[in-house]
Amino acid sequence: MDGSSDNTTRFSRRHFLSWIITTVGAVIAAVLGSTAIGYFISPAFQRKEENWVDLGPIGTFPKGNPTKVEFVQRMRDAWVTTERRSSAWVLTSDGENYIVFDPRCTHLGCPYHWDEEKKQFLCPCHTAVFDVGGGVVSGPPPRPLDRYQNKIVDDRLYVFPKPTQVKT
Amino acid sequence: MRNNRRLLGWLDERTGLKKIWETLFARKIPESKGSVAWFYTLGSACLFVFVVQVITGVLLAMNYVPSPDHAYDSVRFIDKQVFLGHFLRGLHKWGATFMVVVVLLHMLRVYFMGAYKYPREVTWMMGVVILLLVMAFSFTGYLLPWDQKAYWATAVGANIAGQTPVVGSHVAKILKGGEEMGVATLTRFYALHVLVLPILTALLVGIHLFLVVWHGISEPPEKTNRQIESN
Amino acid sequence: MSAWHEEYLKRYAQLKERGRSFFPYAVFKDVIVSFLLLCVLSALAYFVGAELGDLADPTDTTYNPRPEWYFMFLFQVLKLFPGRLEAVAAVVLPVLVVLFLFSLPLIDRGRERHPSRRPLLTGIALMTIIAWGFLTWKGYTSPLTNPIVEKDPLVLAGHRLYQELKCSYCHSIGGQGGLVGPELDKVVGDQTEEWLGKHFRDPQALSPGTVMPKLNLLGDEITILVAYMKSLGSGPFTEEAAKLFNENCTTCHRIGKEGGDVGPNLSAIGSVRSKSYIKSYIEDPSRANNSSSMPAYKGQLTDIQIEDVARYLASLKGNK
Repeated sequence: MDGSSDNTTRFSRRHFLSWIITTVGAVIAAVLGSTAIGYFISPAFQRKEENWVDLGPIGTFPKGNPTKVEFVQRMRDAWVTTERRSSAWVLTSDGENYIVFDPRCTHLGCPYHWDEEKKQFLCPCHTAVFDVGGGVVSGPPPRPLDRYQNKIVDDRLYVFPKPTQVKT
Repeated sequence: MRNNRRLLGWLDERTGLKKIWETLFARKIPESKGSVAWFYTLGSACLFVFVVQVITGVLLAMNYVPSPDHAYDSVRFIDKQVFLGHFLRGLHKWGATFMVVVVLLHMLRVYFMGAYKYPREVTWMMGVVILLLVMAFSFTGYLLPWDQKAYWATAVGANIAGQTPVVGSHVAKILKGGEEMGVATLTRFYALHVLVLPILTALLVGIHLFLVVWHGISEPPEKTNRQIESN
Repeated sequence: MSAWHEEYLKRYAQLKERGRSFFPYAVFKDVIVSFLLLCVLSALAYFVGAELGDLADPTDTTYNPRPEWYFMFLFQVLKLFPGRLEAVAAVVLPVLVVLFLFSLPLIDRGRERHPSRRPLLTGIALMTIIAWGFLTWKGYTSPLTNPIVEKDPLVLAGHRLYQELKCSYCHSIGGQGGLVGPELDKVVGDQTEEWLGKHFRDPQALSPGTVMPKLNLLGDEITILVAYMKSLGSGPFTEEAAKLFNENCTTCHRIGKEGGDVGPNLSAIGSVRSKSYIKSYIEDPSRANNSSSMPAYKGQLTDIQIEDVARYLASLKGNK
């Protein structure tokens, strides 16, 4: 201005400009600050990753007899992924309800197998025998076969490969 | 000689060098008698150790990789293969210890002399924040070699932070960069140790020093409060 | 501005006027001190250096780190606060100290600056320094903070043999390895060295029906394997264990330099007794020793706590 304007306009102009400075400054600080803080504290709100493993379409599992399914389990630590080969026994009688067994004998963790003739699970290490539902028939195991949680999503079977004990 | 003076004059005209020198170095300070004067060197000792840490830290960063599968080996490499590497890492490690000691001694000097009083309250507060930054440096730097001691000391530290009432588990997760310690913890600590903390510390040390010069260094306390001497 | 503020500024201006220049009088002293510091630093860096331990092993839950010496006091304080109060010692106390320091100039606003004119604050600081020194000293002399001992060469050799023999195809330690055989770090604590030795010589003789093969080991190899097995201890124990021991047992028992002499010294109990023996003894001493005057702790402590303490004691091998 050329200095001829009166005090009120000059004051309100100053006032207006500093108001703009404060507001724009606050917006800049908020955008940058919230981005930085959000990025920094994001791990606090990270959910524990649920490692559901896809075992394939449900149609592929024969009814009645348990099937051994091999899968690769991925363990993630930030961008580093390690893969672990693992397996599970899948049992269904109606194609809708599934039981998935942990592949290790509950005695000492040996891998067991399904005996088609006897319709039983046999463990070679210490001759343990389990029935089709995982219950102990004979031998040293302290409890029935451990199971994995499972769910069906879009006609595919998913398991959560963490053994859960079954009460006798 | 004459050329030197001309050069200085030329520079002074364009940078105000002389004025800066007068303000920072040619300023007068109250006299302190005898051994008391040596206590006043603790502040500059902190600054000196900080500079040592910056130099050695920058050099170490040239060979260090902040990733769990390389961190330990890169530190080993510095130790065994790099010329003067072992010495440099020794300087940085012992510098860290000295940093804590000298900063604490400096704080005790100011505490016992009551030098935090009017008008130097803010100088003291900045100092307390710098002390916290030094602790943070120590905590984050401890993890970087990724040996057993590093890993488990940090795990304990994170657990301690996790015990904070109410927000504990969140704090621990933010520290660890996730649910478990691992890749993200190391990169996080590295970024804090070499970027965030040095910048913050340099800034606060700058303010601290500005305030020291602004108010002038405190005079040694006297048992009785002398009156102003009238000329 | 209160009256003395103005007065102070005037007096300070006078003192400053009569003072000497910062450069070179004060800078001279600064440079000397910095140079001395650099000398000590270089000597330490050159002759002591910075150590680099073993590579971090996230599965090794038995590793008990010692904090840096200036945090040792906090470590020691944690032991004084049982259970739930631990959060108070670990977080609340340090926060209060920092808040006190930060707001000190707002609390102590008087004119007096000489330490003898501020007896309360001077006293607090002196007490803090003494307490800090005492706790640090306690931290280093008390073996309870870190019962993990240095690895001896037998153990290291045993570890190498363990890898050469591919034991981990069937066994796991710290959750790593096969699942055919038992998890070694969880079970070896229950066995004596003698049993382990015989077991390695001929597994079938001690555990009929076991699938573990006879390995035809030499005597030396068995010795180092046993040493390695015993070093695995008896499974991980928590920091709580040392605390529990402090609260319940130190009146009568001694570990290292701490504790009473009514009962036996337990500094090396782990090398003579197995964990299961210790556990059973803590639960009810009369089972093993009718004349024992030690109380039975079953019911006094929970089963988990007894297990914890037993594992802790089984880890004490006395070579500290």
